[in-house]
Amino acid sequence: MAVARPPRSRRKQMEAIALYPLDWLEERSGLVGAVKYFLFRKVPGDTNWFQTLGSATLTAFLVQAITGVILAMYYTPDPNSAYESIKHITNDVTLGWLVRGMHRWGASVFIILMFFHMARVFLFGAYKYPRELNWIIGVLLLVLGMLEGFTGYLLPWDQTAYWATVVGINLNGTGPIIGPFLSSVLRGGSEIGPDTLARFYSIHMLVLPAAIMGLIGLHLYLVIRLGVTSPPWSKKAAGAPWIEEDEPEQPARKGLVEPTPRGGAAK
Amino acid sequence: MSSIEERRRLFAKYKEDVKTRGKPFFPNAMFHDTVMSLVVVSIIIGLAIIWHETANGTTAGLLGKEYDAKADSGTFSFVPRPDWYFYFLFYLLRIFKWPDSVILGTVGVPTICLVLLLAVPFVDKRTERRLSRRPVAIVASILVVISMGVLTWKGATATESLASENVKKVPTWIKRNKLPPAAVPGANLFAQIGCLNCHSYLGTGGGYSGAPDLSAEGSKGKGIAFQIAHLKNPASVNAGSPMPSFATLGDQRLHQLAVFLEASKGGK
Ligand code: HEM
Repeated sequence: MAVARPPRSRRKQMEAIALYPLDWLEERSGLVGAVKYFLFRKVPGDTNWFQTLGSATLTAFLVQAITGVILAMYYTPDPNSAYESIKHITNDVTLGWLVRGMHRWGASVFIILMFFHMARVFLFGAYKYPRELNWIIGVLLLVLGMLEGFTGYLLPWDQTAYWATVVGINLNGTGPIIGPFLSSVLRGGSEIGPDTLARFYSIHMLVLPAAIMGLIGLHLYLVIRLGVTSPPWSKKAAGAPWIEEDEPEQPARKGLVEPTPRGGAAK
Repeated sequence: MSSIEERRRLFAKYKEDVKTRGKPFFPNAMFHDTVMSLVVVSIIIGLAIIWHETANGTTAGLLGKEYDAKADSGTFSFVPRPDWYFYFLFYLLRIFKWPDSVILGTVGVPTICLVLLLAVPFVDKRTERRLSRRPVAIVASILVVISMGVLTWKGATATESLASENVKKVPTWIKRNKLPPAAVPGANLFAQIGCLNCHSYLGTGGGYSGAPDLSAEGSKGKGIAFQIAHLKNPASVNAGSPMPSFATLGDQRLHQLAVFLEASKGGK
């Protein structure tokens, strides 16, 4: 269709050329429309800085994903060379120290941000109907995020890593019924050794990240579908029963604002 | 608690309010998100730089060592210390008495907390979101923040026991616990090989993993053979014990340790 249009001015022609790839993509996938919907969907007018904590958490996770991929290019998950590869990354590889440092400290930042984000959701009462499911997904993300921390801790294969994991796995074994089973699965035998390291590595960089990415996808889908909650203290909070109570005042004010209806700001 | 009809009606009103009075996500909210994300990335890079610039390999800087000595299952001078965000869990274990109720610390309390967390939206079904009208939520969150904070702080400041410091305590142990000469080699070993990183003895040591006090281990009447078997493979005599095996110490030193433990009767 875009091609069939007769070109009018040179400007129009340039525009058509520039937009052609987008039209092509939109016609075949609907992705352009989806992105437009994402960007221009309405959110409550009173959202504030506390509500950036979720996307901040997402950013921290992305930092982990990217630095993790780079570390995986140099790290060897084998007890004989894991420690040496960590030293090599820290001391020899160009900017290796930065990538490793970002991954190491990004983990702490990611976990702190998850707790802060959860605190904001709790204090805003944003877990209430119809967002219960997103709260549950959030709790799962919190648990999986902490497990990422636990499995990643062993990988440098130094004394701290090793002995913290020995005790961590053993504590796990004190659990009833599945405790001892879980411990031996984690260990991959009766001793912490090559199998343990390989297992932790695979869980740390394949199993958990895949699960976390899937859950983040669902989490964001629900955020977009249901919308974010207005701050509870806001005088203009969307869908708030306590503002309804003052409804009698509304008509008068509405009358003043009415002259600029939807058309103006809305896109 | 509000009826489901009431909650549905309010959500419909929410959608309506957002439609009529809301703003598009781009550019305003997205701008805030972007600024915050840049701050986060800068903080992460800043921490990485401080870590690297102040530390040098196994020499600790402001944010600790870059790496410890290589893992060695044959040494015992280790401190089983998890990353800081697990301190609250590890420290929780010390609140419970080993071994009878420790399962409450490893499984019980964490499970209860997780279930409570998952249950939040199903327990609180009111539509009220203003904090001034949610006293239970306020009290609960203050309690959670305080207890997590205290446990993390306690975990962070729990003393690491240094072999060189511990061994100076041996003469006091001999006096207070009236240890016979035969128990002294065991006492010296005990002070130095890392037992005190988890256990405490007459006020020294005690670490992160909630291990029991051993000042009066000898008054339990378990016997030398039990002690040796336990040190070789803790879980074989105490089902599910998280203590690591000390079998590599060799028979002679295991015997010395056992004699020391059996001679410890918890002097006043
Ligand atoms: C990997 C971790 C997580 C990521 C990347 C993430 C991301 C997000 C984002 C981008 C939002 C949009 C609004 C905002 O930024 O505040 C959001 C909302 C939400 N999150 Fe998370 N989140 C994570 C973990 C959690 C956790 C641990 C919980 C709670 C247990 C949680 C519960 C919620 C709920 C209920 C909403 C809806 C809030 C509202 O309607 O105002 N999330 N999340």
